[in-house]
Amino acid sequence: MITLRLAWLLSRRTAADRSTVVLPVIAFAVVTALLLIVSGGAQAFFSWNDESAFLYQLLAVVALALLVVPLVALGGSAARLSARRRDDRLASLRLLGATPGTVGALTVIESTVSAVAGALVGVIVYVATAPLVGLLHFRGEPLGDAVMLHPLLIVAAVVAIATLAAVSAVVGLRSVIVSPLGVRTKQSAPRMHWVRVVIGVAVVAITFAAMSSLQLAAGFGVVLAVLAVGFGGTVAVLNLVGPWVIRLVASGQAKRAKTVKKLLAARSILESPKAAWRQVSGVAMTSFMAVFAGTGVALLGVMSDRGDMNGDSLQLYTDIQTGVIITVVASFLMVACSVGVNQASAVLDRRALYVSLDRLGMPVETMNAARGRAVLSPLRITTIGSAVTAAVVIFPLTGMALLVAPTSLAMIVGCLAAGILIVWLGLLATRPVLTRVLADRSPSL
Amino acid sequence: MNSPVLVAHALTKSYGSTHALAGVDLAIERGESVAIMGASGSGKTTLLHVLAGIVTPDTGSVTFHPSVGGAIDLTGLGESARSRLRRERLGFVFQQGLLIPELTAVENVALPLMLGGTPRVAAEQHAAGWLAALGLAGFESRRIGQLSGGQAQRVAIARAQVTGASVVFADEPTGALDSRTSGEVMDALIASTTGRGRSLVVVTHDEEVAARCSRVLRLADGRIVDEAVTA
Repeated sequence: MITLRLAWLLSRRTAADRSTVVLPVIAFAVVTALLLIVSGGAQAFFSWNDESAFLYQLLAVVALALLVVPLVALGGSAARLSARRRDDRLASLRLLGATPGTVGALTVIESTVSAVAGALVGVIVYVATAPLVGLLHFRGEPLGDAVMLHPLLIVAAVVAIATLAAVSAVVGLRSVIVSPLGVRTKQSAPRMHWVRVVIGVAVVAITFAAMSSLQLAAGFGVVLAVLAVGFGGTVAVLNLVGPWVIRLVASGQAKRAKTVKKLLAARSILESPKAAWRQVSGVAMTSFMAVFAGTGVALLGVMSDRGDMNGDSLQLYTDIQTGVIITVVASFLMVACSVGVNQASAVLDRRALYVSLDRLGMPVETMNAARGRAVLSPLRITTIGSAVTAAVVIFPLTGMALLVAPTSLAMIVGCLAAGILIVWLGLLATRPVLTRVLADRSPSL
Repeated sequence: MNSPVLVAHALTKSYGSTHALAGVDLAIERGESVAIMGASGSGKTTLLHVLAGIVTPDTGSVTFHPSVGGAIDLTGLGESARSRLRRERLGFVFQQGLLIPELTAVENVALPLMLGGTPRVAAEQHAAGWLAALGLAGFESRRIGQLSGGQAQRVAIARAQVTGASVVFADEPTGALDSRTSGEVMDALIASTTGRGRSLVVVTHDEEVAARCSRVLRLADGRIVDEAVTA
């Protein structure tokens, strides 16, 4: 009862910290809406039961798998944001004598309530946008009402989001419960060993060799196994090497930086290369797969131009192309949302520092430019690095596609560039948060 | 002390129905240290913000007299011009230091110079000189989290001085420190400002801090109600 009363007291806020409530709710709303839209799209494929349905369903599962990583990252961002913004008050409660059980319960209650509120908003967004998603054409027809999920599935999604928030809140606030004094540590980011790169290069080389010798392999099963292991291995390598490469590049940038914005951006990445990677890692797999699929589509395109394809194959070719574009754009959209949520929360968390820099005379453009570079630099490294890795792994095919169908590959590159633009727009959306923080001239800041 | 570096005339400032400043006249002399004291809500932080050009008063004026060049009316300047003036001519020390935790000590100190267009190598050399002068030689590459509270505050003092600021504004600079460290930090702050012919304006609750300044002003309800020259 006391816990519930405390939760109610803590939920009453002043206008100044309303963002503490609003931001996580928006974040959970975006996560829920995207989760439902993607699931609805996939469901539409599973409503088919003719001969070619299986191939479409297989491709839908691949696309879903690709979108799971950025979606989970976005969900994690929302949950961490929801939990982190309560750190200080909950640490104070611990100092006042609240038991770990009370603090834990408060955490779960607050995070879950904001997650459920956000999820309900997300459901409304999904219901409003589903008719638009239904306009997407596959096999020459719009997806239509098939994208509408069963109400029970929607309820399950809301429950899943609430559970994710509750679990993340408990995990994220362990430090408060363990030590009332230690909410934020100021340790240096752990250094990462170069052995990661050696392992990474070895796996890519082995995969390249395996792919190159595929034509020698006898059965379809062997081909599939090599493809699956090679693809999985390379994606695992991206996760292993990604943070190391980001740290290496940022370290060089920090040494060479001649301007404040470049120095601040590089140092902020070096603060936690793993966090920088986590924020953009969702596009690593998508970018990798886009080149993988893009090469295949490009070669199929050549066949269709020669007239070697029948109507069904031509339709499949067009649909795969549509699917690749949707998957790439959706995954970048999720990263953009994740970036928006993280950046808005970072500005609010560091409001005193930003206000002090403003008082020192640092132009707001410099602050925004530094924030932007700290996100876009790892994003570019991840997007280009993953695309190049994919191109290397299936090299003979990429070379061939580049020669015979350059426009098809250019389309994939254009998609990736558009993705980076979407993330940049996500960053742009957080500028008003900083402007509002700096505009607060109350003497208490 | 010979001529004023800052002159404020008939300052008023309100936040809603609260009158933070209700007619303040004040001159800060070149090379003096002034402590502004008063209860919470007396208007001392608002006065510091108005003198430094962080906020503009509702009425009244603040004139800055640089050692070179003509007088500048702070209240007549736009946001970006005041921002530039703060960056190039004024220095600030905040209660928590408010240094950038990702940067090293020397990078933090070099920041205002780099913002003003000084090349990084030259800015860091100059910054290292200031760190050494404040007893922090060898700490250049340390990140802020690796410094003690007193060391971090001395880094903040170096940052406030590195551009050759004519006036340094300090808002509760020792508020987060123990009494011994507080004394050391104030010694460093006064020696590096008034000791070099610059002016220092300190907002504080601490009588011991105020006693180290050459003049103490007491505010109540947005007015200066007492003024004392210390020994």
